Amino acid sequence: MRRPAPIGGRIFGTGILGTRILGTGIFGTSTFRLSLGSAGFLLAALLLQSALIFWQTTSYQIMRTDLLLAREAALITAQSRPLLDQQLRMRASDDLHLLIAGAGLFDARHHVLNGNLPDYPEGLQPDGPVQQLVVHPTGQGPRIVRAQALRLRNGDILVLARGLRDLEEVRFVVLRALLLCAVPSTLLAVAGGAWLSHRALLRVGIMHRAVDRIMAGDLHERLPAGRERDDLDRLAGSVNRMLDRLEHLLDEIKGVGDDIAHDLRTPLARVRTRLERARNLPPERDRVGEMLDRAIADLDQCFSVITALLRIGEIENGRRRAAFATVELTEIVDDIVDLYEPIAEARQIALLAGRCEPVRVHGDRDLLIELVANLIDNAIKFTPEGGRVEIGARARDGAAVLHVADSGPGIAAAEREAVLGRFYRSDKSRHVPGSGLGLSLVGAIGRLHDARITIADAGSAPGPGCLIEVALPIRHHAIAVP
Amino acid sequence: MIASTKIIPDMPPAALPRVLLIEDDAKIAADVAEELSLRGFAVTVAETGTQGLESATIAAFDVMVVDRLLPGLDGLALIEQLRRQGDRTPVLVLSALSAVDDRVGGLKAGGDDYLTKPFAMEELAARLEALLRRPIETRESVLRAGPLVLDLIERSVRRDERAIELLPREFRLLEYLVRRPDRVLTRDMLLEDVWHYRFIPQTNLVDVHIGKLRRKVDAPGETPLIHSIRGAGFMLRTTG
Repeated sequence: MRRPAPIGGRIFGTGILGTRILGTGIFGTSTFRLSLGSAGFLLAALLLQSALIFWQTTSYQIMRTDLLLAREAALITAQSRPLLDQQLRMRASDDLHLLIAGAGLFDARHHVLNGNLPDYPEGLQPDGPVQQLVVHPTGQGPRIVRAQALRLRNGDILVLARGLRDLEEVRFVVLRALLLCAVPSTLLAVAGGAWLSHRALLRVGIMHRAVDRIMAGDLHERLPAGRERDDLDRLAGSVNRMLDRLEHLLDEIKGVGDDIAHDLRTPLARVRTRLERARNLPPERDRVGEMLDRAIADLDQCFSVITALLRIGEIENGRRRAAFATVELTEIVDDIVDLYEPIAEARQIALLAGRCEPVRVHGDRDLLIELVANLIDNAIKFTPEGGRVEIGARARDGAAVLHVADSGPGIAAAEREAVLGRFYRSDKSRHVPGSGLGLSLVGAIGRLHDARITIADAGSAPGPGCLIEVALPIRHHAIAVP
Repeated sequence: MIASTKIIPDMPPAALPRVLLIEDDAKIAADVAEELSLRGFAVTVAETGTQGLESATIAAFDVMVVDRLLPGLDGLALIEQLRRQGDRTPVLVLSALSAVDDRVGGLKAGGDDYLTKPFAMEELAARLEALLRRPIETRESVLRAGPLVLDLIERSVRRDERAIELLPREFRLLEYLVRRPDRVLTRDMLLEDVWHYRFIPQTNLVDVHIGKLRRKVDAPGETPLIHSIRGAGFMLRTTG
C-alpha cells in the first residue's frame, strides 16, 4: 500500500533528488540531449546536401559527355576513310585518353578493324542512344564509359567512348568536402552543447540550492530569474511570484494568529483576575456572583471569536454546496429585518427595507440568512444612535444585488478588501461586542456563492456611511436544478 | 464525586429523570454527569457505542445524550439501531463539528436535538428538559398559562382582564413560552424554534425581543411572568 511520505521526509527526499541530478552531470541534461539532437540533424542535412551536389554534378557531366560524343561522332563520320583511320589511331594513342577512353572501328560482324578497343562492347546498339558500360581499352584496365556506336555507309561500325574519370574526381572532392565539413561541425555542436548544458546545469544547481533553502524554512529566498529572457528565467519568475503569494499568505495567517492570540488573551486575562479576586473575597454572595458573571461574559467573548473562526473555516472548506437550492432573497431580507427591528429600535436606528424586488438566487438558504444577518448586525453595530440602516435586494445587470447602507463612520478605503478576507479584524471592532469577524464570515459565504462584494461610501450624513453590495449570480427559471 | 453509575441493576429512583450519557471522553463524561446530577438528573454513563447500545437495550431511559463520534459503534449508527429496535427514547446528539450537514445527518438518523461542543451546561440541561417534557399540544384554540390567555384563532392575548396588543412575531414568541411554562428556554432554543435560525447572532438579539415582549406582558405593578435565568436563558413562570 502506498502511503504519503511525511513532510520532513519529502523535503529530505527532494534534496537527494537534487543531488542525484547534479551527479549525472552534463550528459544527463536536457540541453545536452537537445544539442546532440541538433548535431544529428545538422549531419543529416550535410549528407543530403552533398548527395544533391553529387547528383547534380554527375547529371551535368553525363549530359556534357553525351553532347561531346555526338559532336565528335558527327565530325568523324563526315570524313573520308583514310582520314578516319588516321584519326582513330591518333585518338587511341592520344594523351587525352583521359577524356576519350576508346575508339574503334568494327565490321558488321563486330570484328575489330582499327582503334584501341579489342572487343566490341557488349550490348551496344549501333545508331542507338548513348549508353553507359564497361570497356577494356588495350593497355588499360576496365573503364566505365559513355559509349556510342554509329553505322558507317559501308556497313562498318564506329564506336566512340568517353570516360567518366572526372566524375570520379567530383565524387572524391564532394566526399572530401563533406568530411572536412561534417567532422568539425559535429565536434563543434557537441562541444557547444556540452558548454551550454554546463551553463544550464550551473543555473539549475543554483535553483536547486535556492529551493533547498526555501524548503529549509527561508521563505524570503528567491530563484535567480534575471530579466526573464529565456524559458528557465520565465519559469523561475513564475515560481518566484508563487513564492511571493505564499509568503504573503503565510504572513497573513501569522498576523491573524497573532491577532487571535491577542483577542483571546485579553479577555482571558480579565477572567483570571476576576476569578482570583472572587476567590480572595469574603463570601458576600452579591459581589462574587457579579464577578463570576463578568468572567463568564468574558469567556463568552472568547467563545464567540473561536466559534466565528471555526465557522469561517468550515464554510471555506466548501463542503456545503450540497445544500444549494433556489432561494428567494427578498424573503430572507424581510425575515431578517423583522428579526433585527427591535434592536434597531432600541438603539434609535431606523431600519428600512427599501427597493425590494423578488429575486431568486442559487444558494444555501441558511448561509444566505447568516450573510444578511451579519451585514445588518454589522451595520447596526457601527451606526450611531439616531442613524439609519437601509437594506434591499433587486436584479441588476443579470445579478441579484443585495445592498446594505448605513450612516455610520464607514470603512476606510484601505481596509475594504481586507475586512472581507479571512480572519481580518479592524481595530475599530475591538471595542464593540461580538467576534469582530462578521464581515469575514460574509466574505466567506459570498465566496462560496461566487458573489462579488463591494464596499463603498454611502454618501450619507453625518458620517461617510458604508454601502456594502453583494452581487449574487441570479437564478433563472429556465435552468434546471442540478 | 460522580453520581452516575455503570451498573444497570442499581437504577436510580424513578422520580428523577434517567439520562443515558454515551460519551467516550472520560473527562467530559464525568463533568457532564456531575453537572446533570446536580440539576436533578440520574445519569448513567457508557463509554463506547456498543456499551451504550447494550445499556439502552437492557434498561429504560427517559432521555439519551449521544456523542457523534464514538469508538466501536458510531453515534449515528447507534441511534439508527435503537430506532430499528423500536426504541423511541428522545436522543440529543453531541458533536464537535458544527456543520449543518452534520446536524441534518444527526436528525435524519433519528436524533431529536443537536448540540455542538463546546456547550454551556445550562444549554444541555434546558434541551434535555425540553426533550423530557414535550410542549403542550392542545386541540383547543385557546392556550392558558397562569393569568395569560392566548386565542390562537383570533391571535389575541389577555392577561386577566387586560388585553395585550402584540406584533405577529411577539405573538409567536409568547405562544412558544406559553406552551412551555416553568421551563428554562435558552437563547439558542428560541432562535432555532421561534425563528428557525441556526446561526449565532453577534448581538443580544433574543434578549431584545424578550425585553420588548416582557414590557407588554408584565405591566408595572403586576407580578412578573417572564424571568431571566442567569447564565441560561428565560422562563415563563406561572407558579409562585
